[in-house]
Amino acid sequence: MAFNAFLTPAAPRADSAAARLLPIATTMLAALLSILALPIPGYAALTPAFTLMAVYHWTIYRPDLLPAASLFAIGFAVDLIAGAPLGVTSLLLLLTRALVLSFRRSFRNRRFPFVWAGFAVLTGVAMPFLWALNSLLDMTLLESRTTLFRAALTVSVFPAASFLLGRTQRALMAGG
Amino acid sequence: MIRLSPARRASLQRLGLPLFVVFSAAVIVLGKADGTLFEALRNSAADTAAPMLGAVSRPIASLSRLADGVKDWVAVYRDNARLTQENSLLLQWQAAALNLEAENKRLRGLLRLVPSGATSYVTARVIANSGGAYVRSLMIDAGRRDGVAPGQAVETGAGLVGRITEAGEQTARVLLTSDLNSNIPVFIEGRREVRAILSGDNTERPYLRFYPARAGIRIGDRIVTSGVGGLFPPRLPVGVVAGFEGKLARVEPYADASQAAYLRVVDYGRAAPPAPTAAARGSAAGVAPPSVGGL
Repeated sequence: MAFNAFLTPAAPRADSAAARLLPIATTMLAALLSILALPIPGYAALTPAFTLMAVYHWTIYRPDLLPAASLFAIGFAVDLIAGAPLGVTSLLLLLTRALVLSFRRSFRNRRFPFVWAGFAVLTGVAMPFLWALNSLLDMTLLESRTTLFRAALTVSVFPAASFLLGRTQRALMAGG
Repeated sequence: MIRLSPARRASLQRLGLPLFVVFSAAVIVLGKADGTLFEALRNSAADTAAPMLGAVSRPIASLSRLADGVKDWVAVYRDNARLTQENSLLLQWQAAALNLEAENKRLRGLLRLVPSGATSYVTARVIANSGGAYVRSLMIDAGRRDGVAPGQAVETGAGLVGRITEAGEQTARVLLTSDLNSNIPVFIEGRREVRAILSGDNTERPYLRFYPARAGIRIGDRIVTSGVGGLFPPRLPVGVVAGFEGKLARVEPYADASQAAYLRVVDYGRAAPPAPTAAARGSAAGVAPPSVGGL
């Protein structure tokens, strides 16, 4: 297996308890942001996949602090509250983790455009996957244009999210 | 936190990921096989999250109100001119409506029409847009304790938004008319009034189904609820026929669900005693309503 080598946890750091909770907390915040009712036309359908951004970021830099169990729990809670088919978000986040972990070494210490391109590829895989899964669950071909727009929006919002996550990470965590 | 050796932790993590992937897939299959399996869990989760969602959505709502306020200030002069004009027009309509109401009452008296169930309203705040990209739904902060029940119609002042699908103790989920699973019995108020079903397909504009082939639907025809089925009040405005996609008539809803901060749940006929309500429902479904029927 390709990603076994990368699963060894990073060397122990002197992180405070708050710092250790940061990945889970920010991912939960991202999840909350994606189910809030914002008074923007079409927002519900086009909401950027904030949770995907947080999972991508933390799986690259601190996968040990955002374990699979937490991804399952967050995805499950999102689907419960949002009224979406249960398990879909969990599955998406877990597969994201698997995918990012297997390429993790190529992303560490890279310049931002490279990380951004990686996220674009991830979104390009994740969004059609979501669309296909939901189409399968509804037994019809769902309208696909919205998925396309949502993917584009998600990729274009990523720099802002990445900046914020990186800033908090540097502020609260030793090393990075 | 339990301290594990790095090797142990690594093996645990290695095992955890595939395990949870399989677990998620199992949940998806289970949920698909039995839609009611997780309903109780859903309702209690919604009730638990409601205070938090409510708290977070409040400042967002006030921010957007503030922005609207500034916009209103800028437009105050132009709006005033427009509203004065509109008001004189509306006064004429009011007179017409009053005449029709009086006439309607007289005709109902002549027909001895059984009055349909009393209608009551519950107003609730939208606290989550929920649903994500593939489910069109909203969450509101009123539930069973406020008399909200699955099946009830939900509207803004402008028109129908959707119906309640799940009701928890203090929250409820509104399935929007644009959702794939939304089917609502309606009347098309064209040259001839015909029944149809308004179905969503996850696009902004739902479409009409199951109407007579020669109904002669035209752009601009008004769509109102028919009340067939008994849960919806009849004559609730829904939207207008906005265009055709091939043979598919698309309806532009009057109400913009994504902009609404508050929604009204229509409790139709629940307040009335059960026996006459059932009779009223039967007659309401059987008798073709007059084309200028009152509510």
